[in-house]
Amino acid sequence: MDVVAHIQAGEQTDTPWRFRLDELAWRDMVDLLRHDDLPFVGLWCDGVDVHALFLPDGYPLAATLALEGGRYPALSPARVASSLYERTIYDLYGAEAMWAVDVRPLLDHDVWSATAPLSAAPGRGGQHKGLVSFQPSDAMSAAKGRVDGRGPATGGLAPPFYTRLVLSGSLVACGETQTGYAHRGVAARARHARVEDVCRLSARVAAGCSVAHQVAFCLAVENACGQSVGAEIALLRVALLEMERLFQHLYTLAALARLAGAHLVASHCMALREKLVAEAAPVTGSRLLMDVCIPGGLSVRETAQMAQLCTQLYEIGQQAYPQLVLLWREYPGLSALLAGVGQVQADDLERIGLDGPVARAAGWDCDGRRIMPAYDGLWRYTSGRQGGTAEDRALLLLDEVEESLRILDLASARIGLAPAANHTLSVQDGEGTGLVEGPWGGVLYWVRLAHGRVAEAFCRKPETAALLVFEQVLPTHAAEDVELLACSLGVNAAALDG
Amino acid sequence: MGLIRAVMDTAFWKGRQKRKPLGPRWPLLLFHVDTGGCGGCGMELQAMTCLPYDMQGAGFGFVTSPRSADVLLVTGPLTRTMAPVLQAAWEAMPDPKGLISVGACALDGGLFGENYAVMGGLERRVSVDLAIAGCPPSPQEILNGLCALLGSAAQGKEKETPSRG
Repeated sequence: MDVVAHIQAGEQTDTPWRFRLDELAWRDMVDLLRHDDLPFVGLWCDGVDVHALFLPDGYPLAATLALEGGRYPALSPARVASSLYERTIYDLYGAEAMWAVDVRPLLDHDVWSATAPLSAAPGRGGQHKGLVSFQPSDAMSAAKGRVDGRGPATGGLAPPFYTRLVLSGSLVACGETQTGYAHRGVAARARHARVEDVCRLSARVAAGCSVAHQVAFCLAVENACGQSVGAEIALLRVALLEMERLFQHLYTLAALARLAGAHLVASHCMALREKLVAEAAPVTGSRLLMDVCIPGGLSVRETAQMAQLCTQLYEIGQQAYPQLVLLWREYPGLSALLAGVGQVQADDLERIGLDGPVARAAGWDCDGRRIMPAYDGLWRYTSGRQGGTAEDRALLLLDEVEESLRILDLASARIGLAPAANHTLSVQDGEGTGLVEGPWGGVLYWVRLAHGRVAEAFCRKPETAALLVFEQVLPTHAAEDVELLACSLGVNAAALDG
Repeated sequence: MGLIRAVMDTAFWKGRQKRKPLGPRWPLLLFHVDTGGCGGCGMELQAMTCLPYDMQGAGFGFVTSPRSADVLLVTGPLTRTMAPVLQAAWEAMPDPKGLISVGACALDGGLFGENYAVMGGLERRVSVDLAIAGCPPSPQEILNGLCALLGSAAQGKEKETPSRG
């Protein structure tokens, strides 16, 4: 029996794709998962049950297990990415994952005002005062060498996290991260909140991926209500998603170039990005495209000008793009430096569950746009470098900049052919998921609606798996390349901590 | 704003001149700490360091150590985990020093008000020398705010870009 059939043999819940298992069946599921490549999305808890979500053939399939004595069998022995979810669940709900591969705290470092704050009976807050201490794994504790630390306040402009390195000479022998500095309690704030308010929260999970979070959340709400937006709204959302990809890829390319010492290239990337952002902001109402979506529709400032904006962005981008690519490829030393950083294998990424441009640049053909109906006739498969290094990722981002410009050009011709009226959403009880391809990979929301509000919400984002890949790839890198490596893999503490 | 400028002139700027005499285009050095936000304000700060914004020409620069900074520039709501980090950065800065909050979250928590993990914003906790509002504020708004602090005019006109996002 394969895992899908095993899960579907469980007791069906009110949600057609979610099945309740007992503990023995859950354990069997974990055993079966060891020998099955069923795509794992995430694991979350609602205080009573724990849920594991999978995505066979692009469709959601969830297994649910009731917590017994505040415990459940861990998934991490079969799916390594589950480790971060299990640690999150313990910090937020106090639910313990039995046989978990890692039980260190992820978010709560004994400084919160309550322990297990989302559980039915939160405990007394941590007594720790001052800077939180680093908790190494056994492997890290055993590593020999000079110890170096980076963060959480480096003076840089990225969200805070800490990296501990054990160095052998100038190379990293072992490296681990500590997160939780940017934990704002998004899951707690989403509980029993109005859908519009949670949508605003989703826009601020991670700047730069704001549209992806908003659209995924809105799709989840709409699916939970059994309603859908019209083709025109779906197309406008695609346009916003591609604008965000365009802006964010240029921002990432600039950061990569800056960290590699190619300041001229970085300056060109940021200058083009700023031109595009300045053009888009008066129409969308937001430079970083925050608060542009609402469940049932859009909330851009000038919907009628979106087609024209797409054309303008395409023209500005097309004019500057050839020069930018030439500069990137011919800038002395840039390619050589990036080619020696952060090589990853497609099999490892698939095992850990890191999709998006990092995976595509390593040869794993995965793109959520392939299964989004709104992208029909717009998205196309493009082949590119598949060596899995930071250089391959940078060249893929450059390639995707051009593709996003092309999609905007195609979309501009279609926008306006149908009325773009927002759908008045009648919020009904139910569960739904929404998946979109964000700048760094698949962003998926699961929501449960009850009494006109969001009862629970879970978000899967690529940054979770990116942290695991980052830690895995750190050894043998030069200490000064650590920031460059994190940037090229899409590590983002704001998204990760939530 | 006038009051802030007056306070900065007397308590901060003049004292700084005694300690570090002004040379030609002496920059005001900023140390940035993201205390737990979404990263949007940091992205706009990064944009401010690039074209077409002339941050360095206006007399500002970022440093990577609080020991060489004049001003602590804070973005994001203050999480309980970052509070001691912020305190340590502040204590490492030489006197005289100033504190600037950028964005709604850093000032009052914005969408991320006080809860088990977040203490909210800086207002009513510490004395903030300058607060630049917005979610996030645009690069031009941030630069205008910084320039207003020193009584100088930002180069470039304020664009008609919204301050949300």
